Amino acid sequence: MHLIASPELDQFREQCRDWLADNVPRGTRPLEGAALRDFDLGWQRRQYDAGWAGISWPKDYGGRGASVLEQLIWHEEYARAGAPPSASMFVALSHAGPTLIVSGSEAQKQRHLPTILRGEENWCQGFSEPGSGSDLASLKCRAHIEGDALVVNGTKIWTTYGEHAVWQELLVRTDPDLPRHKGISWVICDMRSPGIEVRPIKAMSGLTHFAQVFYDDVRIPLTNVVGEINGGWKVAMTTLGFERGTATIAHQIELTNVVERLISTARAMAGGADEAVMADLATLKSEVMALRSLTVASVSRGMREAVPGPEGNIVALYFAELTRRVNGFSFDLLGHKALERGGAHDWPLNYLESFKWAIGGGTTDIRRNAIAERLLGLPKGPSARDLVR
Amino acid sequence: MIIDLTPSDDQRMIEDGVRGFLQDRLPVERLRDVQNHGGAAERSLWGELSGLGLFGLGSAEQDGGLGLGLAEEALVARALGHALASPIMLAQLAAPHFATGAGLRAALISGAAKAAFANDLGDGVAHLIDGDGADQILLLSPQGAMLLPRSAVGEAQSVAGIDETVAFARVSLPSDLPARFPATDRTSLLISAYLTGIAQATTSTAVDYAKTREQFGQPIGAFQAIKHLCADMASRAAAAEAQCFYTAVAFGNGLDDASEVAAARMLAARAAIENAKANIHIHGAMGFTADCDAHLFLKRAHLMALLGSNRATERQRVLGH
Repeated sequence: MHLIASPELDQFREQCRDWLADNVPRGTRPLEGAALRDFDLGWQRRQYDAGWAGISWPKDYGGRGASVLEQLIWHEEYARAGAPPSASMFVALSHAGPTLIVSGSEAQKQRHLPTILRGEENWCQGFSEPGSGSDLASLKCRAHIEGDALVVNGTKIWTTYGEHAVWQELLVRTDPDLPRHKGISWVICDMRSPGIEVRPIKAMSGLTHFAQVFYDDVRIPLTNVVGEINGGWKVAMTTLGFERGTATIAHQIELTNVVERLISTARAMAGGADEAVMADLATLKSEVMALRSLTVASVSRGMREAVPGPEGNIVALYFAELTRRVNGFSFDLLGHKALERGGAHDWPLNYLESFKWAIGGGTTDIRRNAIAERLLGLPKGPSARDLVR
Repeated sequence: MIIDLTPSDDQRMIEDGVRGFLQDRLPVERLRDVQNHGGAAERSLWGELSGLGLFGLGSAEQDGGLGLGLAEEALVARALGHALASPIMLAQLAAPHFATGAGLRAALISGAAKAAFANDLGDGVAHLIDGDGADQILLLSPQGAMLLPRSAVGEAQSVAGIDETVAFARVSLPSDLPARFPATDRTSLLISAYLTGIAQATTSTAVDYAKTREQFGQPIGAFQAIKHLCADMASRAAAAEAQCFYTAVAFGNGLDDASEVAAARMLAARAAIENAKANIHIHGAMGFTADCDAHLFLKRAHLMALLGSNRATERQRVLGH
C-alpha cells in the first residue's frame, strides 16, 4: 500500500490528456442504430491512427501494450475528457479480440485483429438463448458438420448491436451426446451469411440496441472454429480480456459525476434540499467513493495476478446496485420534473438503462453465488458446477 | 494520483505479527471471563504490547517511533478490531499525534504514559472508556479532539453501557477547556479501520459457521439465502476496507481528507453493524445467546460507531462544502 510516484507515468498521463483534449469527438453521439455504429467506428479509427487503439492488447497483435497502470491512467483521462464509451466496439475490443489472441489460429488473428483495431468491422455476441440465460451451458443452438462447414440452426438472444455488427462470436452445440459443457464450440460467424435473420428488440428505455438472431441452415466454414471442435466452453471461460479491472474506471468516474451533479442540483435548490435528501446524497457519495477505492484495489491486484480472481464480482455487484440507486435518486431530488424525457440529462433514460447492469453479463444473484462459493468457499451450487477451473 | 492498495511484504509482516499476538494472547474468547473486561487483559500484557512497538508506528524515529505511516497504523487498528481489543489500544495508537511536548509523546510511544478515550456527551460530561489506569485522556467529539491529563477531568462514576466488556464511566469535563484540536480525521480513520476489522471478523465467523452447521441434511451455507447474506457481508466489508486503506495512503496528498475519512467512517460503521447483525442471524438461536460471541461484535460496533461521531456529522463531512 503506497502512493506510486513516477515521472514516466506523469508524462504518459499528460500525453493521454493532450491527445484526448484535441481528438474526442465533440458532436452529439447518436443514441442507437447504424448512425451510432458509424460514430463509434469513426472514433475507433481516430484512436488507431494516433496509436491508441487496443490500449490493453499486446503489441505483437497491434495493440498499445500498455501496462496496467498506463491503462488505468488512459481510462481515467478518457472518462475525464468525456470520451464516448466503446459501445458498438466493446465486444470486438474487450471480448472477441482478446479471445482470438489467446485461442485463435494464426490465420484467424491475421484476418480479424487488424480490422477490429482499425475500426473497420465490429462484433456482436451470440451466447445467450431464450432458454439459456444464467445457465449458459444449457445452450441448444445446434451445429453439425457438413463437408468443410458447420451448419447452424437455432436462435440467440440479447445480442447487443446484432443488427449492425459484421461478425459474431457464437457458441453452438456441436455434440448433443457429450456432457453439456463438453459439446459446445466457439465459432466466428459472419452476420451477412444467408439464413441469418435479425429481429431487433426494444428495451424498456425505448432504445433498440439488442436483438434476437435466428439461424436457418447457416453455413460457417470449419476454419472459423476457434480452438477445438467441442472445446468452445473452455475457450469462452478463458476469455478474460487484458483489462484487469481497468475498464470499469470509466463507469465509476461517470457515476461519480452523476452524484456530484445531484449534489450541486440539491444545493442550488431554492431554500435548499431537505435534510433527508442530503442524508441520502451523503450515503450515495460515500458509496461512489467506495466504488472508486474498490476499483483501485482491483487494479492493484491486476498488477500481480495473471488471472483475475473472484473479487471482481464484488466490484461488479457494487456498481450494478449503486448505479440503479444513483440514477433513480433523481425522482427523490427533482420530483415530477425528473419524469420528463429528453433535456440535457435524460433522467428517465439513464434510470431505465441502469437496470441492465444487474442483469447482463451475470445477474447480481449469480454474482452473489460466485462471491459466496469462490471467494468465501461455501458449498458449490448448480451455477458453479460447470466452471472449468 | 496512483495508489497501490496491495500491502507490501513489510506491511503484511506488521499486520500478521499483531494478529498472531492478539489471537494467541488476547483471543475474543477472553471476554467470556469478566476478569478480562474493561481493558484489564490488555493492561496485564501492557509491557509486551508496548514492546511490539505498535504505539509509535506512525511517529517520527527521533521520538522513539518507527517512522511509518497512517496505512501501517490502520492495518494495526484493523487487527485490533478483529480481536475486539479494548479501545485503549486504539487510544494509545492515536494519542502520540496529539501530544504537544516531546516528553509526553515519547512516554505515550513507550507505553509509560497510558491513554484512554473519552466520548464527549455535551453539557460538560463525557463517557470515559476503559479508563482504569489511564493517565491521559483523548477526548473526542464531532467538533474535535484533545489530549488531557487524567487529573483535568472529574472522578469517574461507573455506569452500565451497551457493551458489558467495556468499562463505561461518566466524568465531568473542565469548564475552561481550550479550543479543540480541529482535525480528528486521523483518529476517525483508525476507528474506521477497527470497525472494518469487526466487519471482516464477523464475515469469516458467519461463513465458518455456515460451512459446518447442518440442517435438512446439508450445511446451511449450501442454501442460497445464506450464501447471499454472506456475499453481502463480504461486499460491505470489502467496500469499507478499500475506502479505509485508500484514504490512509492518500491522506495528506491533496484530496479532501475530511470527506474521504467521513466516507470511510460511514461505510465501516455500516459494514460493522450490519455484518454483526447478520452474524447473529446466521448463528440462529445460538447467536441470540450470551454464550455465543456474536453479540460482542454487535455491541462493540455500536460503541465504536458513535465514538466522537454521529451520522449527521459524517454526512456533512462527506458532502464537504
